[in-house]
Amino acid sequence: MTSILIEESRRYLRSSLAITGIFVILVAYLLAVFPAIKEEAELIEEAFPEYLQGLLGIEAMHTIEGFMAYSYDFFWIVLVGIYFAYLGAGMISKDIRKRKMDLTLANPVSRESVVLQKIAALWVPLTILNIGLILILYIGALLIGETLNPTSLIMVHLLSIPYLLVCAGIGLVFSTIFDRPRKSQISSIGIVFLSWFVDSISRLEPDYRWVGNFTPSRYYDETEILVHKEYAFLDAGILIGVFIILLVVSITFFRYRDV
Amino acid sequence: MNFNPTPAISFEGLTKEYDGVAANDDLSFEVKKGEIFGYLGPNGAGKTTTIRQLLGLIKPTSGTAKVLGANIRDRRDLIKIKSEIGYLPDTLGFEERLTGNQILNYFARMRGDERRDELLELFPPPLDKRIETYSSGNLRMLGIIQAFMHNPNLVIMDEPTAGLDPLKQDRLHHFLEGERESGKTIFFSSHILSEVQRICDRVGIIRSGKLVDLDNVEDLLARGGKKVRIYIKRHIDKEEFITKDMIDFKCVDKTIHFTYTGRPDKLLKYLSKFEVEDVEIGDPQLDEIFKHYYGNSS
Repeated sequence: MTSILIEESRRYLRSSLAITGIFVILVAYLLAVFPAIKEEAELIEEAFPEYLQGLLGIEAMHTIEGFMAYSYDFFWIVLVGIYFAYLGAGMISKDIRKRKMDLTLANPVSRESVVLQKIAALWVPLTILNIGLILILYIGALLIGETLNPTSLIMVHLLSIPYLLVCAGIGLVFSTIFDRPRKSQISSIGIVFLSWFVDSISRLEPDYRWVGNFTPSRYYDETEILVHKEYAFLDAGILIGVFIILLVVSITFFRYRDV
Repeated sequence: MNFNPTPAISFEGLTKEYDGVAANDDLSFEVKKGEIFGYLGPNGAGKTTTIRQLLGLIKPTSGTAKVLGANIRDRRDLIKIKSEIGYLPDTLGFEERLTGNQILNYFARMRGDERRDELLELFPPPLDKRIETYSSGNLRMLGIIQAFMHNPNLVIMDEPTAGLDPLKQDRLHHFLEGERESGKTIFFSSHILSEVQRICDRVGIIRSGKLVDLDNVEDLLARGGKKVRIYIKRHIDKEEFITKDMIDFKCVDKTIHFTYTGRPDKLLKYLSKFEVEDVEIGDPQLDEIFKHYYGNSS
């Protein structure tokens, strides 16, 4: 039974393309200002105290990798993270609210399967956004006379997938608990943003650095990947583990609730 | 009629409470195979709660029910028989961005669509248009098609005629009678007495979550009556007009309201004696009839 997967996948096509389109404009803008930033990079790095550089994810700003890592921190971890949390948060609660779930569950399909097919449909935004961004960035960098290492570019996207799945998983859990879609969306967006913020702040103070260990963004470090070419596969594995736990929790809630 | 001995649905003390208030209170009755069973009750009586429990959408607080032999508390059993069930919900939450055709293709992949073309001739919604442009009548037609197109043995319908124009309502009634002839079981809820009266083999009446009457409802159905409002040319006295078949009689100047409990042809013959300017004959509110027959215990 893959009907739900097919239908949900089709639903994500348009919004994924639209968001990729927005990123094209954004990347064009970032690449256009990079040559100027490169000149001033040393000044910028000197101007900010070291702790603020940590907060803003500034490292090696004069290289395209360092500059891109800085941009990823906000645009990918926060904004795309929020987008996936939003998608997850609508999956169940919205269907229940609109009474679409009545029609879905009238089919010979288990609730477990409904959740799994819905989350599996995220392959569409994951694929389109990641491949789209890799291509745009690689080609864009060439156009301004820079080269981004293709391996680290691919890795920075590949290793972000577990992180984005955790964001979607957070949304999904709320989606099965709350009756109102808006409530689940706001809650999960809030948590994704807040945990990124906590992670960033906790990096400033070595004594409190451990606090960030409880945030998903701690397990995905774009600067390490892009600037130092360090690929933390174990961290990605931890995120996948957390995602599976969130999935099990969601399915358990959904199994026993009234719709 | 030759009924199969195992019931299509059997309710066994089915109870659903919300915050201590029973929406369904200890329901116990059976729906036989091959019959059209009307589940009659005013709005808010608990009909939808019952139906959504049968589909496994909400869980009983206590008691249970068996649908085509599957216990509704056993999720696995219930899923197995779902391809033999058709379901028409009261509110149709089709994906708004899809067209009617895309919706039917989606359900066809899940359970089949061997009767799709035949149904589309009877109930033709605009298949190439998106659901967001559908009128309530078109939505209902699409709902009917998805409920029947996989040729299920049991169809559970929640207020199936809501939103349909009178012609399509008659068509649906006729269609349901044909389904019964071919051995299908139909369980449908309604708050419209005349509809149930016309096509149901048996009726269960629910009020405030309780089953108040079953089977033996001919008396109620026969005496449900028609709500009549007439406007006559000149003022006449109540005594001059009223007959023993009229109850709840009210007269305001030249407008007369009453509930007629006799035969319709007799009423028409009687009205022709007066200079009637305008007339409205409709179904009375179920709640009014219920107050009349079961007292004011809601």
